[in-house]
Amino acid sequence: MALLEIDALVVRFGGLTALDGIDLTVEAGEFVSIIGPNGAGKTTLFNVIAGAQPPSRGQVRFDGRSIRGFGTTRMSYLGVSRTFQVARPFRSLSVRENVRLGAAGRQTLASARTLAPRRRATDMTRRVDELLALTDLERKADHKAAELNIGELRRLELARALAAEPRLLLLDEPAAGIGADGMRPLARLIAGSREHGLTVLLVEHHVGFALSLCDRAVVLDAGRVIADGPPDAVRTDPLVVNAYLGRAASAQAQVARAAAAPGSVAT
Amino acid sequence: MEVFASSAVQGIVQGSLYALIALGPSLTYGLLRILDVANAAGLTLGAYVGLEAYSATGQWWLALIAGAMAGAVLGWLIQRLLYRPILGRGPIVPLIAGIGVFIAAEEAFRLVFGPYNRTFAATLPLPALQVAGTQVTGVETLILLIGVTVFPATWWLLRRTSLGLAWRATSQDRETAQAMGINIGRVIASIFVIGYALAAVGGVLVGVTYNTVYPTMGDIPAYKMLAIIVLGGLGNPLGTILAAMLIGLVETFVVAYFGFVLPRDAIAFIALILILLVRPRGLLPGDEVVQ
Amino acid sequence: MSLDYLIVVLVTISIYAILVVSLNIVVGYAGQPNLAQGAFLGIGAYFAAVLSVRYGWSFWWTIPAAVGAAGVAGFVLGAISLRLREDFLAVTTIGLNFVVVAIFQYVPFFGGAVGVYAIPLPSIGDHQFGNADFLAVGLGMLAVVVGISWYLERTWFGAALLAIKDDETAAAATGIPVAPYKIGAFVLSSALAGLAGALYAPFISAVTPTSFGFSESVVILAMLMFGGLGVIGGAIAGAVVLGALPEVFRFISDYRLLAFGSILVFMLRFQPQGLFGEHSAVLATIGRVVPRRLGRRDAGSGPGRGPASDGPA
Repeated sequence: MALLEIDALVVRFGGLTALDGIDLTVEAGEFVSIIGPNGAGKTTLFNVIAGAQPPSRGQVRFDGRSIRGFGTTRMSYLGVSRTFQVARPFRSLSVRENVRLGAAGRQTLASARTLAPRRRATDMTRRVDELLALTDLERKADHKAAELNIGELRRLELARALAAEPRLLLLDEPAAGIGADGMRPLARLIAGSREHGLTVLLVEHHVGFALSLCDRAVVLDAGRVIADGPPDAVRTDPLVVNAYLGRAASAQAQVARAAAAPGSVAT
Repeated sequence: MEVFASSAVQGIVQGSLYALIALGPSLTYGLLRILDVANAAGLTLGAYVGLEAYSATGQWWLALIAGAMAGAVLGWLIQRLLYRPILGRGPIVPLIAGIGVFIAAEEAFRLVFGPYNRTFAATLPLPALQVAGTQVTGVETLILLIGVTVFPATWWLLRRTSLGLAWRATSQDRETAQAMGINIGRVIASIFVIGYALAAVGGVLVGVTYNTVYPTMGDIPAYKMLAIIVLGGLGNPLGTILAAMLIGLVETFVVAYFGFVLPRDAIAFIALILILLVRPRGLLPGDEVVQ
Repeated sequence: MSLDYLIVVLVTISIYAILVVSLNIVVGYAGQPNLAQGAFLGIGAYFAAVLSVRYGWSFWWTIPAAVGAAGVAGFVLGAISLRLREDFLAVTTIGLNFVVVAIFQYVPFFGGAVGVYAIPLPSIGDHQFGNADFLAVGLGMLAVVVGISWYLERTWFGAALLAIKDDETAAAATGIPVAPYKIGAFVLSSALAGLAGALYAPFISAVTPTSFGFSESVVILAMLMFGGLGVIGGAIAGAVVLGALPEVFRFISDYRLLAFGSILVFMLRFQPQGLFGEHSAVLATIGRVVPRRLGRRDAGSGPGRGPASDGPA
């Protein structure tokens, strides 16, 4: 049974159709990048999977169970964590507290334990410390999240999302706002997180970044899937190039594809 | 049947007055997302200045103009000295600051003009009309006339002038509007000047209608206007006019048919709470950006 | 100023302090607008008054009754808050004041426009309460409220409220069940306001509808914003400074309200986070004068200044 199954998903906002019949299956352990031009529906798709956006039509099943009507909190309890396109840290809290809240989860936040002092929760300490080390935020652990720069904020979001030990991690444009220097360590971080048997869905505008990390790429355009396969194939798929760049470039891509040996780089 | 007709007419008059006074806060909210309680200080100031002008000259229209001008000046001062410097601190800070200004202003009125009710007996050279079998006094006719002028004028302002366009752009997205060259400062100043002038005119009309001017006359309007602009859908001045008329009619009918079972001023808020439970964004939600 | 008079002033200030510290739970921690704390004070006070005068309840039993009644009202407001976005909620809470006052005025149970008067003094055994006793109880209640608030800051619940204040969407996605937490904050805040009401009723010895209107709620919120949102010490400071104001300005009593409004405006204009809130000029000055204890903290934060800084792990 696949971890995530999406059947004929349609999402409409009034007159606007954001997703127009999406079929997608994700197996446990896969790393899938979802790319596509602006307005293709990538974030809407994420919002549906995360429980923030109800489908207008179609089915979404997580672990074999329909998630209709679940909401983001319940999805987080099921093991779906996400980061946001625009970083959403808890500014009043310290970096460490942000991550600890991520680690707290249902056992603490949805039980009487929520009224216990936080200090006593030593069972989470090791995990939180590991994550802070992993995301290179140890030095800033006791600073308020409001003081971080954009790169640190992205790492904080990642740490907070990983703290919940999710089964499915949704990364929404983690490289946005980060320069070329920041992207390499971020990529390493994300690749590293996979070692825990995590399934990752990555939405990213920066195509090279997205394709360099994934096992499989899904391309959206105008609310539909137009390509779904290994990164190299997708990279040179004329439909994909056309969606991003227009027809002239698409013709070029066809030539490039014919001439390219498998595995050659073209971004 | 007579009760129905006279209530309907009274309700429309009351509603028009409310709409006049609520327009300023509605425009301000649409522009800045601020609930401006201090606007009611413009109402009281207008009433006092209008009274002084009328006492000095005996001309009712001078009272209106003097009041409007005083209101305009107050509006300009308040946006410049109070609200502009605290933009972007969230909605509660300007709300409380506005309340602070309002309290201070009411006290200032008390200290300057005295705590006692003063009468505003103005004779308007307007005939008392017979509408739908009921009497409409001179000042009520004036209110209706002003209403009939101001409301289409507002629509015209918002839809057909560059100020209106600037208002709409800024209320949708202040940063982008600024980036596109709109002088936010001037838009804000214009809206406050207009809004407070309208409140001041409303104040003169209230003073004449009830034949009394006193320092705390702005109390009830200050908060009732909030209920009205929320009811009409925040950020939607035309919705506000609609809501104002509705509240005016409801109040008048409830008082006419049920006596004083409910205090008049709680009615607006009860109506507000009930309607918000069904439509959490008001009757006619504006085009605000959803947060 | 006689000692007895001073004690009366202190009782008033303690009542305000209870109201401000409890309001801080909803406004300072959970970040929800609430301009109706005066109404919850009134609900507590009225229930205590009616039970005491008409049903002969002892003061000590009116306390849980007042707390319960105000808490139920808080639950209603909390439930309403789930459906309404910030500004709509703010205006609804303003309206709540008017509605509650109207209920006090017109529902016969509450005694009508006259209210409830001749509320008997509490007693312990044979000893009837004097002003000093009221102060003792007031301070005791304040200690309880401060204690609850202080403890709350150190729990997961408290951190979660801050998270909800900062970013409700992210809070929900991080596993915080927003609805019950918001309602919980409202219930706690209102119930504790009811506690103050139980003391208020016998102290003032009468309750009238207009004592608990919107202006009362504004004063309470103003004290909180003046002293510092989210900071217990700030909340108390706000109650003390603005509560003592009428006395300090007694010699120019005619200008008291003017001073109140002006101070409020100046405060919000130049220090919108309050006297002891973030970026506080007062705290920064103290921080420069008094040697810092730990190297890492910046001027605005330190131990005991809110849930963010409960230290490592």
